[in-house]
Amino acid sequence: MNFELNDEQRMLSDSLSRFLSDKYDFEKRRKYMEMEGGFDPAIWAGYAELGIFALPFSEDEGGLGGTSVETMIVGQAMGYALTNEPWAEAMAIAPSLLQAGSSGQRAAVAEGIIGGEVIPTWAHLEPGMIDRGEDIATTATADGTLSGTKTVVAFGAEANLIFVTARGPDGLGLYMVKGGASGLEARAYKTQDGKRAAELTFDGTPSEKLSGGVPADKAVALAEARGLSAVMAESLGCMEQAIEQTVEYIKGREQFGRAIGSFQALQHIAAGAVVEKEQVKSMAMYASVMCDDGDVQARDLALSAAKVKMCDASREVGQMSIQLHGGVGMTMEYAIGHYFKRLTMLEIAFGDRDFHMDRLCDAGGLAA
Amino acid sequence: MELTFTPEEEAFRQEVRDFIEANLPAETRDHLKRGNPPTKEMTVQWHKTLHAKGWATPRWPAEWGGPGWSVTQMYIFQQENQRAGAPDPQGFNVGMIGPVLIQFASDEMKKEFLPKIASLDYWFCQGFSEPGAGSDLASLKTSAKWDEAGQQWIVNGQKTWTTYAQHADWIFLLVRTSTEGKKQEGISFLLVDMTSPGVEVHPIQTMDGAHEINSVFFTDVKVPAKNLIGEVNKGWTYAKFLLGNERLGAPRVGASQAKLAELKEIAQNRIVRGKPLWDHPRFRDKYVEAQVELKALEMTVMRVLSSMQAGADTGKPDPATSVIKIKGAQMVQRMTELFVEMAGEQAAPWTDGELGANARIGDPWVERAAPNYFNFRKSSIYGGSDQVQKGIISKAILGL
Repeated sequence: MNFELNDEQRMLSDSLSRFLSDKYDFEKRRKYMEMEGGFDPAIWAGYAELGIFALPFSEDEGGLGGTSVETMIVGQAMGYALTNEPWAEAMAIAPSLLQAGSSGQRAAVAEGIIGGEVIPTWAHLEPGMIDRGEDIATTATADGTLSGTKTVVAFGAEANLIFVTARGPDGLGLYMVKGGASGLEARAYKTQDGKRAAELTFDGTPSEKLSGGVPADKAVALAEARGLSAVMAESLGCMEQAIEQTVEYIKGREQFGRAIGSFQALQHIAAGAVVEKEQVKSMAMYASVMCDDGDVQARDLALSAAKVKMCDASREVGQMSIQLHGGVGMTMEYAIGHYFKRLTMLEIAFGDRDFHMDRLCDAGGLAA
Repeated sequence: MELTFTPEEEAFRQEVRDFIEANLPAETRDHLKRGNPPTKEMTVQWHKTLHAKGWATPRWPAEWGGPGWSVTQMYIFQQENQRAGAPDPQGFNVGMIGPVLIQFASDEMKKEFLPKIASLDYWFCQGFSEPGAGSDLASLKTSAKWDEAGQQWIVNGQKTWTTYAQHADWIFLLVRTSTEGKKQEGISFLLVDMTSPGVEVHPIQTMDGAHEINSVFFTDVKVPAKNLIGEVNKGWTYAKFLLGNERLGAPRVGASQAKLAELKEIAQNRIVRGKPLWDHPRFRDKYVEAQVELKALEMTVMRVLSSMQAGADTGKPDPATSVIKIKGAQMVQRMTELFVEMAGEQAAPWTDGELGANARIGDPWVERAAPNYFNFRKSSIYGGSDQVQKGIISKAILGL
């Protein structure tokens, strides 16, 4: 047992952090958000050049054969910089869903993602499906023609490869649809935290079924697990940044003739947030290691435990950050509110606290 | 990063389990499993058993009798020992004064004291807090004046909240040796024989009825020059080092895991309104929430130990130990709350413990529920209160 990063992992963390501190700040981010697809394609190309998209793919698939620990390192840096691109779809979701495909399908898609040409997303949730794990109503015919509606698909209008969960003649299946395919309609919008998403309607839309790999439900569960692990990492980075910005702010802000950070009432609130953030860091590590665990039940319960902790901590850290900023924390023009909004969206991503409490309680808790 | 245990580590765990199983007296195990603190005899017996095996001082360097374990092994040992319901090795000796001597004392002093500290031939207690010096420890007034003629220190003053002073052979003492300059710069660190003339121990009963803590009075107590650790007026540095170690040992994750397992077992057999308490959703929620927080704490403890092993151990206390201290206290206290909630009104009787006609009213865990809840309010107060820890985090981590 050890919690230390190896040299390669440290290098990954350093190089990505350098890239992001160069390319991202609050003003630049605002510009990217106004661009046509909601992000700058040059940054996406930059990620590909750094090689991060190759990390989660196996060597057979043309990747670097990294683990979820690498994804965690990336996620933490992305959360810290408050990036908007669908990196988790590329690094956590797509490689997991592709497990349902043949080696040929895996290698072909991996090549596009690794090179940065493919921007993948996952059309999974459906309207009226406010919880994970409910029945999928979207259907697929034997030749892969899709019909149905999907909701809150990350960058649904901008992605050029859409993985779709649908019911086929043989049960749950995973299907790949090209962006702009016939019978595909996208109603695109911005999200609360500055990303893009879309409602997608499939009406006789042609697709390619993933087959030859693991059963689709297993690939879906893996994607949920790795997606959640990515959420843990991203939220950790967000919390680190939120605490840093808040501490900077209260060091500089003067009231009653002194920096408000000198008041113990505020110091103890900030220190309490550090305690929670440290617990999330531990759980992010736990989640990233456990989501590669072969014991699927142990994996899912561990991830649920991580998410429950994250939800509680995220509320505390996020709300504390706004509170200590006071009025300016409420404004669009201050960065902190945007971190708070991202944290809030991460709290509800991949199952909210109640969903994960239910999963844990039904199982009688974590294995001892 | 690797969170799973290697086959060698699993084999080590089995070795620890087997050793405890074969050697822990049933009487001690049952006494602790009923929720009681160990008696002095139980701690001494088990400590000496571990010492004979070379396991009583896991974090000490091999040179001074440590077993040369990896951080993971130390963790496994502690977890298994606590889970089995065995007493911890005596903490004031092993986790506090021993490491201070190893780090700061002269070779002569190490040779004189460390073997007896390791074997528990000397039981040490901690003389830090005073009636006027709690969270503001550096304002302590117990004085040690240098007696040139006798080449010795003369100690006068009062220490308080001294845990198990009634068992102790020795006390490690923070004393004021200078009133010049900053208050932190006039403190020294002395070892005092409890049988010295002028040392008096007065018991303090805590609200649960227990006698753990004491006041210790010093009246013209003569302490040989050689019993001073390191340099005069440098005691504060040594004390901070000690407190960092104290915080690291505070969480007792294995003990909380054992409590949680016990809680589940009892809840499964306790019929409340027609079904096992375990099947009541509100109970299940509380159990799972406690388990989640405990898992996070377990990982945080491992993380700090791991970074120490990786070489970040600078001898200075890691501020992350304050996080562990706060969460560790919270978890221990949460467990005691859950037992009271599980006992319900049956928690009311004040029984005589092991003695007397009223020795048994309910199940042992029911009897111990309220006293343990009362007793463990101490966890967020001792070793630097939650508020002191938050002060440390504010300064050392946040720079506020």
